[in-house]
Amino acid sequence: MDNWLEGLEPIVDHQDLKVPYRYSMGAITSKFFIEIRDHKKILGIKCPQCNVVFVPPRSTCGRCFSLLKEWVEVSNRGTLQTYTVVHYPTPVQPVPPPLIYGIIKLDGADTGLAHLISETDYERLSIGMRVEAVFKEERAGNMLDIKYFKSI
Amino acid sequence: MSEKGGSLLLAEFDAKFPYDYSAGRYASYFLKQLKDHKRIMGIRCPKCQKVFVPPRPACGYCFVRNTEWVDMGDEGTLWGYTIVQFPFLDPMTGVERPIPYGYGFIELKGATTRLQHFVTAADLNKLRIGMRMKAVFREERKGNLADILYFKAIEE
Repeated sequence: MDNWLEGLEPIVDHQDLKVPYRYSMGAITSKFFIEIRDHKKILGIKCPQCNVVFVPPRSTCGRCFSLLKEWVEVSNRGTLQTYTVVHYPTPVQPVPPPLIYGIIKLDGADTGLAHLISETDYERLSIGMRVEAVFKEERAGNMLDIKYFKSI
Repeated sequence: MSEKGGSLLLAEFDAKFPYDYSAGRYASYFLKQLKDHKRIMGIRCPKCQKVFVPPRPACGYCFVRNTEWVDMGDEGTLWGYTIVQFPFLDPMTGVERPIPYGYGFIELKGATTRLQHFVTAADLNKLRIGMRMKAVFREERKGNLADILYFKAIEE
């Protein structure tokens, strides 16, 4: 009765959904990326009331709702707060696995910045490890103008 | 990526969602017949005799397993349609289909259910419900529903 199943190869159809996307970064994030692009400088923004320095910068303090206007330069070196090592490949990753995502608290900042960690043996990763930003040669004004952070 | 010299940045990119659709046994058979023989297959419920196109493993009316494949031929009746004037991305390909185009429900001869597909006519404005339609197949068929390019109105 079910002989139609004999020799039937299951079909897997590959499809590529693409969604074109325009992201307006706004004044604060634009300045952050322009400084990285033009001067390889990483800026944070300081809350006038609770003195927290946010990196990446934001327009309001999430703790006291103050408007943030005071730009401060932070170091391109910092401390690894946490990380994960990705071995599983997916077509949407920025670089092929194994790749490391880390959260880096830059010297002078009070918040962590999520970015890639490279030039680092992933078996030697540790929380508290010192890392440094590696900038791209050709910078375009986006997050990947910092190529990754590497261990010092 | 951004306006050089300006103080506001705009990021433009394509978010990509590559996608593998596992068709399963029934749809695999359906697509294989379509690809190899340009046959549009339906499946008949052994109990109520309803014929489902596209095929499904179980009859939704009597909850019994469908087993009898039926070659539906390539002609049917236009059951409902719309003319699309607003361009948007085709999720199968990630590109916009040129407008205007027709999209409709086709009731293949002998089928209980209707198949959704692109519909066209020599003059798109002359599409009418009840028109007889014929499937136009892709030359190089790949085993997906786009192996049927569209259903075209038969000129009387």
